[in-house]
Amino acid sequence: MQRTKTRQTMAFMATAVTGSLVLAACGGAGGPSSGGGKISDDKVVIGLLNDQSGVYKDLSGPNSKVAIQMAIDDYKAKYGDKAVAKDIEIVSADHQNKPDVANTKAQEMYDRDKADIILDVPTSSAALAVATQAKAKKKLFIDIGAGTTALTGKSCNKYTFHWAYDTYMLASGAGAALVEGGGKNWSIVYPDYAFGQDMTKSFSAAVERAGGTVQQKIATPFPNENFSTFITKAGSSKPDVIGIMAAGGDLVNFVKQYNQAGMADQAKLAVGLMFITDIHSLGVDQFKGTTFTDAWYWNFDAQNKAWADKFKAKTNTRPSFAHAGNYSAAFNYLEAIQASGTDNSDAVVKQLEGKKINDMFLRNGEVRAADHNVIHDVYQVKVKSKDQVKEDWDYEEVVKTIPASDAYGPASPDCKM
Amino acid sequence: MSSQLEHKVDVELPAAPVTVAQRPVVRWVMLAVGLVVTLALPWFVYPPVAMDIAAWALFAISVDLLLGYTGLLSFGHAAFWGTSAYTTGLIASNLGLPFPVAILGGAIVAMLLAVPIGYLSVKRTGIYFAMVTLAFAQMVYFIANQWRSVTGGENGLQGIPKNLGPLTDTINADSFYFYYAALPIILLGVFIAWRTVNSPFGRVLVAIRDNPARARALGYDVERYKIMAFVLSAGLAGLAGGVFSISHGFASLQELIWTTSGKVVLITVLGGIGTLWGAVVGAALVVTLEDQLASSGFNGIGIVTGAIFVVIVLAFRHGIWGTARNGLNAWLRKRRHARDV
Repeated sequence: MQRTKTRQTMAFMATAVTGSLVLAACGGAGGPSSGGGKISDDKVVIGLLNDQSGVYKDLSGPNSKVAIQMAIDDYKAKYGDKAVAKDIEIVSADHQNKPDVANTKAQEMYDRDKADIILDVPTSSAALAVATQAKAKKKLFIDIGAGTTALTGKSCNKYTFHWAYDTYMLASGAGAALVEGGGKNWSIVYPDYAFGQDMTKSFSAAVERAGGTVQQKIATPFPNENFSTFITKAGSSKPDVIGIMAAGGDLVNFVKQYNQAGMADQAKLAVGLMFITDIHSLGVDQFKGTTFTDAWYWNFDAQNKAWADKFKAKTNTRPSFAHAGNYSAAFNYLEAIQASGTDNSDAVVKQLEGKKINDMFLRNGEVRAADHNVIHDVYQVKVKSKDQVKEDWDYEEVVKTIPASDAYGPASPDCKM
Repeated sequence: MSSQLEHKVDVELPAAPVTVAQRPVVRWVMLAVGLVVTLALPWFVYPPVAMDIAAWALFAISVDLLLGYTGLLSFGHAAFWGTSAYTTGLIASNLGLPFPVAILGGAIVAMLLAVPIGYLSVKRTGIYFAMVTLAFAQMVYFIANQWRSVTGGENGLQGIPKNLGPLTDTINADSFYFYYAALPIILLGVFIAWRTVNSPFGRVLVAIRDNPARARALGYDVERYKIMAFVLSAGLAGLAGGVFSISHGFASLQELIWTTSGKVVLITVLGGIGTLWGAVVGAALVVTLEDQLASSGFNGIGIVTGAIFVVIVLAFRHGIWGTARNGLNAWLRKRRHARDV
């Protein structure tokens, strides 16, 4: 009896082990990936990695896929049979603003989906993780959604480009431009974490460069609900301008309380980073008169509007600058493939480096070879009041165009390719 | 501790039926199958994801050691996982040591951190223990956030190298090979956990879980045992966190944030507490699910994992592994009963 039982168990054990081994052998294809240096030239794969479920969903998210598809369609329409890249595919993933997810997904896109390029990637820590992967895999990465200057500074690399904006450019628009318009004395309120600190540093430098002074820098907890004491304190030095460096939900809270405190009559409000989707979600009235720097505005001129109309036909919403940036990056990437005749990363990088671009998104644009920062004209904008809004999403009034050379700083000495 | 006392503790435990897992043969089969699956994993699953499963499994085991075997719900284990992730990263980046040494260093620092936190936390039980551990974890989070010169603040530590002497190029060339290079560290952690729960020390922990007053009456220093379990658990979480940061090549605040503590508790409960195996099953499920959903174009990852969690907790209170095991036990008992009759 005992023996049969043991034998049964042994048999079971053997079956289990061999079963697993057979399974393991069958899965042989999933083993070590072969080489990795070869890029299939008959297919270009564009990876879109961004927040598709969280706080940044609206400003970029799934609609960026639509924008990239528009770029592919335009490229195909432009070159027709002569197109070097005939088969172009988009793969997309949600990084949930988590750097570890972004890291794994980027690796997976490059390795498994054979992505030749990854686009977008908001959230600085996630963007830096993807940049590291791009460097390791020698594949392209064009960041649009993240603001950190580290991408073109300390963490720069040959395969990483930064397309739409950074914290320096945000400060040069709203900061310097406001000082020149008479807003000499500033109070800055910022959330006490990396983004807020970076922005405060950039803004203070920009304000002082332009001849203004920052009288107060007030740190707030992050995240924070109640800003009333900070608003009172910021107003105590009778500043011309109050700068708020918070983003997302904190920005919304701050602006609401700022208006309730009646501060709007005493000082101009400058916002560090704002997307048109923020204005849309809170309502134009809450933000009226607020100044910020925009990388692109859909209703700026006929060219922008024409693209925005096409975008609206597909998505039923107006594009943020991140959508337009994704389009521009994808289109110019395909142009670079067209020009070099291959999707080999090194060849494409060589094509892009130093290239001067004027398109729907970039005006007087240049892909700076030294640090791969894509500089272009940006806009100092003011949020309209409700009665000025003529149609849906018509929220911004462009006060001034800031030329590319003023908007972006010189190439960082920290960047060593 | 005398054998008589141990025996006593055994007797005092709730009369558990002889479970499948306690039969030696079945146990070895399970172990063999588990090992084969672990070794074969990167052939089926994308290797970095397989590595994530392994790391989260060990992390969940460390929580299970406290939750399932000692009866302490730590809601701040991210502190040890994250501290080790950062320490490992700093050692590997700045000293260029082989990654197992860096991970070991990370685990040791995590254990050192666990001594004061454990000392102060175990004075409370239940929800208060959970809250105290959460509070300490938040403190660690804020320190890491503010100490930018060391931790890189929001941007985290980027570009942590994978060094392993002459094998450095091999493990860097393909994450497939790295999996096998790092797996022994995970297995070591699992072995330590397994050895612990099957030792006299582990029995005392279970006794403390079930009836701390009686354990104290039997002469055991309950708090000291709890601290020891806490530090040990932190060390295992540290091993897992170190592997995780080397595997990804970076450490970020995500490793320290409270949702990470929540995720690991979720994994443990989902798999089934007090089983060790459950932690592995839970980790495999949650990590795979998150990975698949991230590429699926579906926008509600939290909704899916949350819904699964609710269903499991409501319908299968012993978790996936616990329910499966109980079901099997019941079936075996019935069969045996039928045969005996």
